[in-house]
Amino acid sequence: MNRIAQGMVLVLLGAAALTSTVFTDLYLNYVQEAFRPFLIASGLVVAALGLAIIGAELRVVVRGEEEAAEAAADGHAGHDHGHGHDHSRAPRVAWLLLLPVVSVFVIAPPALGAYTAETAASAAPPQDSAAEAEFDELGDPSSNAPVEMKLQEFVSRAWTDEERAMSGRTIELTGFVVPHPEGEGWYLARLQMACCAADAIVNRVLVTAQPDGTAAPETDSWWTVRGTWEEPAGDLQSVRDHRFRVEEMTAVDNPPDPYE
Amino acid sequence: MSDTPAGAAASASSSLGDSLVNDWDARDDLPPADWGRPRGPRRVATVWLFALFLMALAFGNAWLSDALDGDAFLAWATIFTAISLQALPFLVFGVALSAALTAFVPASFYQRVFPRNAAAAVPVAGLAGAVLPGCECASVPVANGLMRRGVAPAAALTFLLAAPAINPVVLVATAVAFAGQPEMVAARFAASLGAAVVVGWVWARFGRTDWIRAPRTHHDPGAPRWRVFQESMTHDLMHAGGFLVVGALAAATLNVIVPREWVSAVADRPVVSVLVLALLAILLSICSEADAFVAISLTEFSPTAKLAFLVVGPMVDLKLIALQAGTFGWAFVRRFVPLTLGVALVFTFVIGGILL
Repeated sequence: MNRIAQGMVLVLLGAAALTSTVFTDLYLNYVQEAFRPFLIASGLVVAALGLAIIGAELRVVVRGEEEAAEAAADGHAGHDHGHGHDHSRAPRVAWLLLLPVVSVFVIAPPALGAYTAETAASAAPPQDSAAEAEFDELGDPSSNAPVEMKLQEFVSRAWTDEERAMSGRTIELTGFVVPHPEGEGWYLARLQMACCAADAIVNRVLVTAQPDGTAAPETDSWWTVRGTWEEPAGDLQSVRDHRFRVEEMTAVDNPPDPYE
Repeated sequence: MSDTPAGAAASASSSLGDSLVNDWDARDDLPPADWGRPRGPRRVATVWLFALFLMALAFGNAWLSDALDGDAFLAWATIFTAISLQALPFLVFGVALSAALTAFVPASFYQRVFPRNAAAAVPVAGLAGAVLPGCECASVPVANGLMRRGVAPAAALTFLLAAPAINPVVLVATAVAFAGQPEMVAARFAASLGAAVVVGWVWARFGRTDWIRAPRTHHDPGAPRWRVFQESMTHDLMHAGGFLVVGALAAATLNVIVPREWVSAVADRPVVSVLVLALLAILLSICSEADAFVAISLTEFSPTAKLAFLVVGPMVDLKLIALQAGTFGWAFVRRFVPLTLGVALVFTFVIGGILL
């Protein structure tokens, strides 16, 4: 890979990082929101480095051949220490840096959805009950206003809140639809991400009842649902699927940040 | 030279007409074919190649994006893109830090910080790892930069192993994920530091320098520092970056095709479960700053098995192996990776047995 190709690969790589953060919100499909400034900074650095290389190459071309030959000789003398590659050239494997560029510009893969939610690791009850779960009050318990919760929060409360503060309250959750493999009902799921999509964990609730006359919603469609927690009879931690009765549901466009 | 950003931005805005127009404009900026004759044709060919590539991107963006479907393929592409994008800032940071170590810090500084004797330098390097806030993508180029400045390879390698596992960001993330189990943080710190130092000592005793592809020695001392900085950054980015993509490809593939049920099937066997989670850590190549959150989700497993996931992951994984191969060569990887894996597992069992 010659110098000018290296420069161009770097510029494209920087452009991909900048395009997915500055001009669009594409990066939210792949990494945490907190990564934005770092992606922008690294995109700028990489693109600037690429431009500097291209600029230097063009200057060499303009200056003419003898000097270019001289510069090339300079660049190589004293670097020959036996591993036989020329430092102004990069290894072929560096062309692979164009793959993320193609992926961002051409494929622009969507956020992970139902396919992953069916196969990925599910969140599981915290084993150590000594970790005393501290929960905030769920709004004003006497008013019957619906409580908006993250799915993650709902799931962890359903497993650990021995006070069962959610019982009887109207709760609002947002997520996407995952079919239930055994047929009955469907899951409302949301992926929780610590860093990037490779470490996504599923939080899900099994919807056991939905408003009369509505058909089961389409896989991967997003909904905001209101309803109540179906309290388990036995021990909270032994529950596998948290059950939820939906009373009201509205379709939502994909939320700006698909993960929580 | 203004052609590339214009073209790239154009392919992002999805209007095909606009991108074509921009690409046509960009052509005018290309150097005429008679520039720099004898060496010129290759450069010009490269520039044309990239112009074609940009047009292909623009066409692909307009027509191909919607035609690509298939849940498994898209999930794979998402994870591949996610690993690449997430690693980019760390890689750039590591490469820049390494280049700065080469260009701006005088060699005498390292002689003061690191004892001359390799066996004494190893623990110092291990503790120094606690200072670099980053993950494994940053530590490989930095270790390379340290070797380039004359630090003993064994010490630089200890730094490479310790930095991603015991830096404050990772320890805080572990404490958050394992809330209520501070012993997990202590075990992670002890096992990772211990394994890194022992690997360093073994390397200091038995390692041979010709196993490591010689890092580039100094530029001619007269070169301006910024020039050295830029050269060193490009060199490292090109060598490490391509291999990082190889690692991301492998990790994304395994992430999609390995069903989690296979993994949880062995959760209740004491030794096998530890080895399985170590293998999972190698295959998934999760950034060390996030791996604690994945480990906590593997609830069926014993604490020692989770510790194996946390200790092995930052030291040996596909992404890291690819990066090391790109930076130090295969002769190095063939010896270093099995050594590290063995020592990390021994420390996992010992520390897990004592603390967990």
